[in-house]
Amino acid sequence: MTTAVEAPKSPVQVSPEVKAIHRRMLRRQRLTRALTYLVGILISLWVLIPILFIASMALTTPAEVRSYPKGILPFIPFSFETMEFFLNSRGILPGLRNSVVVAIITLILSTLIAAPAGYALSRFIFRGRDVFRLSILAVRAFPIVILSIPLAVVFIRTGIYDSVYSLALMHTALALPTTILVLSSVFSSIPYELEEAAMVFGCSPAQAFRHVVLPLVMPGIAASAIFTFVLSWNEVFAATILTIQNRTLPAQVLVTLNQSSEPYQFAGGFFMMIPALIFIFFIRRYLFNMWGQISK
Amino acid sequence: MTTASRLKTRKRINWAPYLLILPSLLYLALFFAWPMVQGLILAVREEGALLTLRSEADLNSPVAGQLARGTEVGILNQQGNPIPADALGQNNLITEVWFRVRGQDTEGQSIEGWAPERRIRVRESDANGKPVSGSVRSVISSTADPLTKVYAEADEGSEVVGQLEARTAVEILDQSTLEVWFQVNGQNGNETVEGWVPSRYLNVLSDGTQARIEEGDTSQFTTRYLQRMANDRFFWPALRTTLLLIILIIPAQFVLAIIMALVIQADLKGSGIFLYIFAIALGASDLAVGIVWYSIFTQLGYLNSILQGLGLIDAPLTYLSADTRYWILVAIWLAEMWRATAIVMVIVVAGMQAISREVLEAAEVFGATLWQRVRYIILPLLRPSLQVALILRTILAFQVFGVVIVLSGGDVVTVLANETYRQYYELRNFNVAAAYASFILLLSMITAFFYLRAVRTQEEVAE
Repeated sequence: MTTAVEAPKSPVQVSPEVKAIHRRMLRRQRLTRALTYLVGILISLWVLIPILFIASMALTTPAEVRSYPKGILPFIPFSFETMEFFLNSRGILPGLRNSVVVAIITLILSTLIAAPAGYALSRFIFRGRDVFRLSILAVRAFPIVILSIPLAVVFIRTGIYDSVYSLALMHTALALPTTILVLSSVFSSIPYELEEAAMVFGCSPAQAFRHVVLPLVMPGIAASAIFTFVLSWNEVFAATILTIQNRTLPAQVLVTLNQSSEPYQFAGGFFMMIPALIFIFFIRRYLFNMWGQISK
Repeated sequence: MTTASRLKTRKRINWAPYLLILPSLLYLALFFAWPMVQGLILAVREEGALLTLRSEADLNSPVAGQLARGTEVGILNQQGNPIPADALGQNNLITEVWFRVRGQDTEGQSIEGWAPERRIRVRESDANGKPVSGSVRSVISSTADPLTKVYAEADEGSEVVGQLEARTAVEILDQSTLEVWFQVNGQNGNETVEGWVPSRYLNVLSDGTQARIEEGDTSQFTTRYLQRMANDRFFWPALRTTLLLIILIIPAQFVLAIIMALVIQADLKGSGIFLYIFAIALGASDLAVGIVWYSIFTQLGYLNSILQGLGLIDAPLTYLSADTRYWILVAIWLAEMWRATAIVMVIVVAGMQAISREVLEAAEVFGATLWQRVRYIILPLLRPSLQVALILRTILAFQVFGVVIVLSGGDVVTVLANETYRQYYELRNFNVAAAYASFILLLSMITAFFYLRAVRTQEEVAE
């Protein structure tokens, strides 16, 4: 909205009044731009400073974590001691492994199940399509809390309680609606004409999909998979309810929170933030694909 | 959707899309819809509230009546019955053992049949502990039959094959474990009900003539769990705090999100970096964010360090304690603002991208200020996106959990999700936990309904 409106370079003589108006508009635009930058930088600081705090707590010595007043300059002294202390605490490494296993199963399962549905939503109009879309949206909005309790009871009865696999089943149910909508928007961004052309040149529908569509949608699918990974990695309520021995990392941190020291907590908090910092960077272009879908 | 219209003109039903959505439908039915229904059932149905009495000691016999769990009953009679396969593992069965014995009966003939363990004393067992021989016990009571009956089957109702005298030596050929059934009577309201029940549902008192119904076999609708939830001392504080947080967080969050979206949509150089930074919190777990803000608000944390560094305080203040409830709320408010604004921002940006640039540029050319553009063009056009974001955000706000548990320890300031967790995890009270979960579901649905309605009414007024 603040694209520069360039003064017309027409040979026609421009009256001084018009020039003045142009100048005023340009000045106002520059001012708006500067203000926008300022606001953007302020908001960025609001987001970044807490991360900087927790990072500098995690990447220093435990003694420094306990000291007061804390130095505002971060990472002094820089050390991995606190992080090592956290990672070597009981239950953390197994929890880390469980978290990764759960997240990977979740992303594979949800991508495999969601991709066909996403394709169907983007390529076909069929009776019940809107109902399907709406119910997917409704599922997305339902609380995790209400799902966890009955699933725990059911899992206890069927003997698959306290296992990373059953937790992954639950996380897949949570991730599935978003994955379907995202993948549907990813497929929609590939024109059907490409597929059609491939079929005209003798590909079967499956071949057209495999050789034309799939390479084009791969980045989108990867982005959605990363998002699913982060969702599962972060999920703490269901993880705590559905596991006892095989805790995931957030569940382990949560249940030991009361008995743990501050270096442990801060290192844990930072450690859990890392995937967010890395992955959001890679999928930032797809974010609107994901959430834009929801309001359509 | 040119494709779709082309497919539609082909009059035949195209099954392909249905096959493609089938896996996700099945998955969501199994792991979403079904547990959801189970959760509601768990909240309002009491398992085993009633015990069915049978007219005979047989599960297939007609129903004689029902008694509530906890009823005191008198024991009139008892009988052993084969144990159904599904009840074999249970440890609350009262059982009796019968032996298949061979011995000389009172008439000197060799007979073979079943006798209860209480009438046979085992003399010898084989290497596996299996009894192989024994003798008939003598009956001391003067009124009882001194002879021991031998039955055709391991059942006192079956045909009597013969009778054995006390102290007769017998071979033990086989044994069978039976569950005892009791004939009981008890009060159901004013009505006395009499019938047979398996032992596993009863707690027989020591004298053997009285028992209490421990567990029923039929479930019943109950409001008990809902009442227990509503009477729980944490229920109203949790509800109040949850609603208070929603009222405090959401409006501020939407203002911040719209400002963020305007910055990103302003076509600045480096808006990609802004987008990344603003979106970071989208991937942050609520637990981690809770810890981040804990590091700021804890007594020896950053806030106190900064205030002391600026010379505003002399000694660290306490923020996160029972006496400073409002500070905990402030910390939760900040943490939630920090964490959950990103998702609103992304939805708003996606909505803004759909607004045509020409409209905005025209408004700018005609001299509309930024505020006028936001108020009269962007906000009205954003309404569908804002509505979705509002529903989503409110429903998510009913589930706020990680941030609260870290910053308040779960007691001083509590929310509904935390109470669900407490009932399940600490108190092991699945039904009350399910009642809390159902309550959150109900609130979410009311919210969604309310928003959708409010927006529709607005539209009608506008027309």
